Amino acid sequence: MTIYLNNAASGWPRAEGVCEAMTLTLQTPPFHPGRVAGGCADVLTICRRGIAELVDAPDPTRIVLTTNATHALNLAFWGVKLNDHAHVITTVTEHNSVLRPLHHVRERFPGLRLTILPTNATGALDEEQFDQALEREPTLVVINHASNVTGRVNEVEQLFQKAKKAGAMTLLDASQSLGSIPISVKKIQADLIAFTGHKGLHGPAGTGALYVNPSLELEQVFVGGTGVRSDLMLHPANMPMRLEAGTPNMPSFAGLAAALRWYQKEGAAHAQKATELANRFREALMNIPKVKVFDGTAKVCRTPVISIQIAGWAVEEIGYVLAESFGIICRTGLHCAPLIHQAIGSAPEGTVRFSFSGFNTELEMETALDAVRRLAA
Amino acid sequence: MKITEIKKIEDCFDGSTVYGYTFDAVWTQDRIQQFRTLGNLDYFPDFPRPFFRVCQKNGVQIKGIQGDNNCRVIYPQKQKEVRKKEFEEAFMES
Ligand SMILES: Cc1ncc(COP(=O)(O)O)c(C=O)c1O
Repeated sequence: MTIYLNNAASGWPRAEGVCEAMTLTLQTPPFHPGRVAGGCADVLTICRRGIAELVDAPDPTRIVLTTNATHALNLAFWGVKLNDHAHVITTVTEHNSVLRPLHHVRERFPGLRLTILPTNATGALDEEQFDQALEREPTLVVINHASNVTGRVNEVEQLFQKAKKAGAMTLLDASQSLGSIPISVKKIQADLIAFTGHKGLHGPAGTGALYVNPSLELEQVFVGGTGVRSDLMLHPANMPMRLEAGTPNMPSFAGLAAALRWYQKEGAAHAQKATELANRFREALMNIPKVKVFDGTAKVCRTPVISIQIAGWAVEEIGYVLAESFGIICRTGLHCAPLIHQAIGSAPEGTVRFSFSGFNTELEMETALDAVRRLAA
Repeated sequence: MKITEIKKIEDCFDGSTVYGYTFDAVWTQDRIQQFRTLGNLDYFPDFPRPFFRVCQKNGVQIKGIQGDNNCRVIYPQKQKEVRKKEFEEAFMES
C-alpha cells in the first residue's frame, strides 16, 4: 500500500470525474476550442467560470487559461512591461517559478532593482523591511500566498493593501493556496493571481490560470492562432483571448472542469480535513525529540504542509527510506524554493516535506507518524 | 552478485554524486552483514522492509533495502572516480 503525502507537488488522487472527462475528450472528435457548442458552454468557459467563482472574480473573461502556474507567472512578468527603472519587491518564500523569471527579466533590464524580503526563523515576512522597500517607488510586488516549504500563509491582504497605496502592481502566487484556503479577489487587492490546477484542486497537470484585474491590460507575450477572427493580422486584443494563443490542452481542461465541479461540492470539507490531519501530524511531530519541525511553533494560518529534519538522517535518505521501506511518498530537498531555507535554518540540504489532502485518512497520518518515530528512535 | 545496470541519480550540493546500481540478485541479510568488513553498518531490521546503510571511512555511503536487487551509492567529491571504480570492481569479482 502506498501512502501519498506529496500533495503540495501534485494533488493525488485526482478529483472525482477527472479521469473520465479526460478520457472522454480524447475519445471524442475534437470540436473547435473556444466556441460555444450546441448551446452549452464549452470546457474552457466552464473552467474560467469555475475559477472565477472560486476566487470571487465577477468577470470570468479576466481568467486566462494557462498550462500551469509557471506559465501564468511568466505571462504576468513579461506582460507588466518591467524595464530598467522598475523596482520589484518579492520574498525569500518564493518558488523558482517566481525567482527565475524575475532574474531573467533583470538580465534583460539590468537596471531593474529587485528587493527580496527576508523572513524570520519562523517564516514570517519582515514587515519593517517591506515598508522600507515600499518607500523606493515599487513597480510590482510579488508574494507567495502560502509557502510550499512551511505551509505558512503570508498576510497578503494587509501587504497588498500597503503595496497598492504605494502605487505598485500586485501579483499573488496562489499555487499552494488555491483549494486549501479561501481566496477572494474582492478582499485581496491583487492585480494578478497565478493559479495551478493540479495541486489543491486535484485536477490534471497541464492546467493553470492567471487572473487579471480589469484595471490592467497585460502586454501580449504569446500570439498566434485563436480559432476565431482569422482575418486579423494581429492577435485579438480582447480578454481572455488576448493572452491565450494556440490549441489549448483540451483533455486536461476537461479534467479541470470536472475537478472544479467536484471542488464546488466537496472542496470546503476536503480542505478542512486536510488541515486537521496536518495540524495533528505537526503537533505530534513537535513532541518527538530528534525531529525539527520548521516553523512549527508559530500559531498561524497554514496550508497542510509540514517540513522536518530528523537528527542523524540526511533528508534525501529519509525520503528514500520512507518510500522504499514504509511505502510513504513525500518530498525531500529544497522544493524549488532555494531562498527560504537559509532563513528558517534548513539550509543547505532542505527538508523532508509531508503534504496532506482531504483524500488522506487518519490511518495514513498515524502510519506516517509511526514511521517518523521509528526513524527518530 | 554482479552489477547489471548503473544509473547516475544526482549531483548533490556538496559535490558528491549519487549512483543507483541494479544487481543480478537481491540483498539478503547475509550479504548485508558482509558489509561490516567494509565500514560502519547501520541495519534496521525492524522497518517494514529492512534498510541498511554502510558508511566507509573514505566517505562512500551505500544504502539499500533488504530484498531489493538495487542500492544507492554516494561518492564524495574527493576521488570520486577512484571510489566508483573500486565499488564497481568489487562486484565484478564476486
Ligand atoms: C509556490 C509555488 N509556486 C509555483 C509553483 C509552480 O506551479 P506549476 O507546477 O503549476 O507551474 C509551485 C509548484 O510547485 C509552487 O509550489
